[in-house]
Amino acid sequence: MNEKLDSNAIRQMLNRSAARLDQPALARLREARELALARYDARQAAPAFAWADTGSHGFTGGLRTGYYYLASAILLAAFLFSLANLGQHALEHDESEVDIAILTDEMPIDVFVD
Amino acid sequence: MRTLLFLPLILACCLPAASLAKSWSELTPSQQQALAPLSGKWDALPEKRQQKLLHFAARYEKLSPEQKERMHQRLQHWSDLTPEQRHHAREKYRAFSKVPPEKRAQVRQMVREQQTGKAASGVPPAPPPGH
Repeated sequence: MNEKLDSNAIRQMLNRSAARLDQPALARLREARELALARYDARQAAPAFAWADTGSHGFTGGLRTGYYYLASAILLAAFLFSLANLGQHALEHDESEVDIAILTDEMPIDVFVD
Repeated sequence: MRTLLFLPLILACCLPAASLAKSWSELTPSQQQALAPLSGKWDALPEKRQQKLLHFAARYEKLSPEQKERMHQRLQHWSDLTPEQRHHAREKYRAFSKVPPEKRAQVRQMVREQQTGKAASGVPPAPPPGH
C-alpha cells in the first residue's frame, strides 16, 4: 500500500473490480448512469433557464421548461401592464397640471372654454 | 418554483388600487378648504374625478392668494363642464402656452383692457365662471 499509484494503475484496479461485480449491481449502475444522462440532456435542452434550476428533481425536463416559459410570460405581461399604468398615470398628472394652470391663470376661463 | 412564488406579489403591485373614493367628511381640513366650492356635490362625484380634484387640493397650499381666489371662483364651473369641454380647454391652453411670450403678453393685455373697459362702461363684469 506504500507504493505510489498512478492513473493507469487505478484504472486497472477499477476494471478488475468491475469485472468481479455481480449482475444486479451492474444493472443498478447502468440504470443510474442512464438517469444521470437523461437529466443532463434535459438541462442542455433549456439552457436559458439554467439559472432558475431549483433542483426539483421530481419534474421532468419538459414540464420544468414549460413552467418557466409560463412564469416568464406572466412576468413579461405584468411588466407591460405596469408600464402602461405608469404611462397613464403620467398622462393624468400632466392633465391635472394643465387644469390647475387654467384654473389659476389670469386669463378668464371662458377664453379657453367653448 | 421560487420564481412562481413571487408572481402573486408582482401581480398585486400591478393591479389598480382598491376603491379610493372618499366622502366629504373624510377629507382633511386643508382638502376641504381647497375644494370648498364643491362641498355640496363632492360625494356624488365619480371616484376618478375625486382623485383628480384631490391632486388640485394638494397643490392649493402652494398657490398665491390671488391664484387661490381664482381657483375657488372657477372650480365649480370647471367641474360642471363635460369631459369633452375640459379636453378642448386643455388643448387651447396648451396651444396658447406655445405662443411666443411677447404675443402672449399682448393677448393678456388685450383681455385685461377689455375687462376694464366693460367695468368702466357700466357693463357688469362677466360673472365669475363658477356662478
